[in-house]
Amino acid sequence: MKPGTPPDLKRTQELFWDLITAPEGVRAAIDQPSGGRSFDPASIDALFAGDEALPAVERLDIYANMYFFRLLDCLAEDFPKVRAALGPERFHNLVTDYVLRHPSEHPSLRYLGRRLPEFVRGHEPSAGFPFLADLARLEWTRSEVFDAPDAAPLSRAALARLPQESAGEARFRFIPAFALLRFDHEVVRYWRALDEAGSGADGAAAEQGIPHPARRKTAARVWRKDLVVYHAGLDEEEAHALELALQGETLGRICQVLAAGLSPAQATERAGKLIQAWIEDGILAECGPGSSS
Amino acid sequence: MGHPKSLGHGVGLRRDHFDRILAGPARVDWFEAISENFMVAGGRPLDVLTRVRERYPIVLHGVSLSIGSVDPLDEAYLDRLDALAKRFEPAWVSDHLCWTGVGGHQAHDLLPLPYTVQALDHVVGRVLRVQERLGRPIVLENVSSYVAYAHSAMPEWEFLAEVARRSGCGILLDINNIYVSSKNHRFDPRAYLQGVPKEAVRQFHLAGHSKKGTFLLDTHDHPVIDEVWDLYRDAVRRFGPVATLVEWDDRIPEFERLEQESIRARGIQEETLRPEPAGTGKGTA
Repeated sequence: MKPGTPPDLKRTQELFWDLITAPEGVRAAIDQPSGGRSFDPASIDALFAGDEALPAVERLDIYANMYFFRLLDCLAEDFPKVRAALGPERFHNLVTDYVLRHPSEHPSLRYLGRRLPEFVRGHEPSAGFPFLADLARLEWTRSEVFDAPDAAPLSRAALARLPQESAGEARFRFIPAFALLRFDHEVVRYWRALDEAGSGADGAAAEQGIPHPARRKTAARVWRKDLVVYHAGLDEEEAHALELALQGETLGRICQVLAAGLSPAQATERAGKLIQAWIEDGILAECGPGSSS
Repeated sequence: MGHPKSLGHGVGLRRDHFDRILAGPARVDWFEAISENFMVAGGRPLDVLTRVRERYPIVLHGVSLSIGSVDPLDEAYLDRLDALAKRFEPAWVSDHLCWTGVGGHQAHDLLPLPYTVQALDHVVGRVLRVQERLGRPIVLENVSSYVAYAHSAMPEWEFLAEVARRSGCGILLDINNIYVSSKNHRFDPRAYLQGVPKEAVRQFHLAGHSKKGTFLLDTHDHPVIDEVWDLYRDAVRRFGPVATLVEWDDRIPEFERLEQESIRARGIQEETLRPEPAGTGKGTA
């Protein structure tokens, strides 16, 4: 900045941004620059006005604190179980690293956490929590399902109108507020344990006697019914049937797969029970010859 | 209900109060909804806003328009805002006179602008483009601030007045923000009121703040303090029966507590605007 020239608006905003997002704080960022960013103290003094009671750097620090804590609060609200698993201190450190790598790019805070499940997978300091990516994915999917598009669920009566002779050719379409998830850990059971213990406020769940979830292939479905979000663990049979249905396989093909090792009557009964549960939970939008997810 | 053109007295529509508001009558005239919270595909937020809108007028109040940023205007955001406005038909659409990010990143905070001629030209141009895109004038709110720029060439109220004059936008005068900034930057809050053109003011905001030792922080987590009520009286005297909204965003109390705050604002507005009874002056028989 040349002496006597008013600072350009773009340069002003970039400098402001760099100062308030510096993870080490405004004063430290000016005194000990790191990460390829350096600040000229004379330019900062010339640009920002402060006074003896509250110097300019401390004033900028107010914004720096608000920047970080707003993002921390948002992620704590969207990932309460991840926070409970890690404890507040480790969660704080995770968020510090996350927002440095993925600053918000969306006008709504709602989307701040979308990359967190993927980020925790490679987050070295969280390596002692190998189930964390699964848990984060479950929490994020619940957020996605919460405000997914509305759709009328398929009624029992509509299903009953399906012509008997072509039922085997019918395909399913699911409501948008539905997701099938596969995990490497027993995170649904762990979620329940956290709820029952009411943990999360003071320390990591493990320190409160809640063991980490076992490493085991599991599955869950997440759905919204009457504006409320639910999730439930699945046995392998239902997970596989849902997978096939989501891929657009016919009801006949799904029954065939379910029939492995069962009599035709048992297989039909089993398929009937699954579909009944899907109807009751309101996760099906359509079932018919032309329907496909 | 005050001035026929005024919406009257409202409160912010917050998630904590959804059930209570839908359950029964509220003693407020209207609700202000944070636009971004409803820019979603479906689910409970939109369902609630739909049902609230069936019973009350609403205003859409955004926090991410970033009218002062040097980044290009976010067209996708404007599309969503336009769709929301068309669907819910708010009395008006408002946001803040500030910037919220640069370089494609969002601070989710209301960052202050330097009050320079360059910034003024920049903001006016963008307000005009947004108004053209939305097909309606927007309303801009003064923000609380904690740092000022040494090269600002005019006081904030002059900048705000000029933006309104040149773009035709309305002004949402946040009385608490004027008070907070007047303490943080040591100016006379009444000079601020005097510097704002009467005809441009569409709405007032009232809220609580926190004392942080050497500065005041706009936290919206307390009742409105007496000094801000006094400033509100002065604002009502100058601007008349302007639509007034009480905000409470953190440590949110029961709805009835918020309602009381709005009822208090209504009482103060009515009392301030009540004509002196005839025959009380000197010289009457």
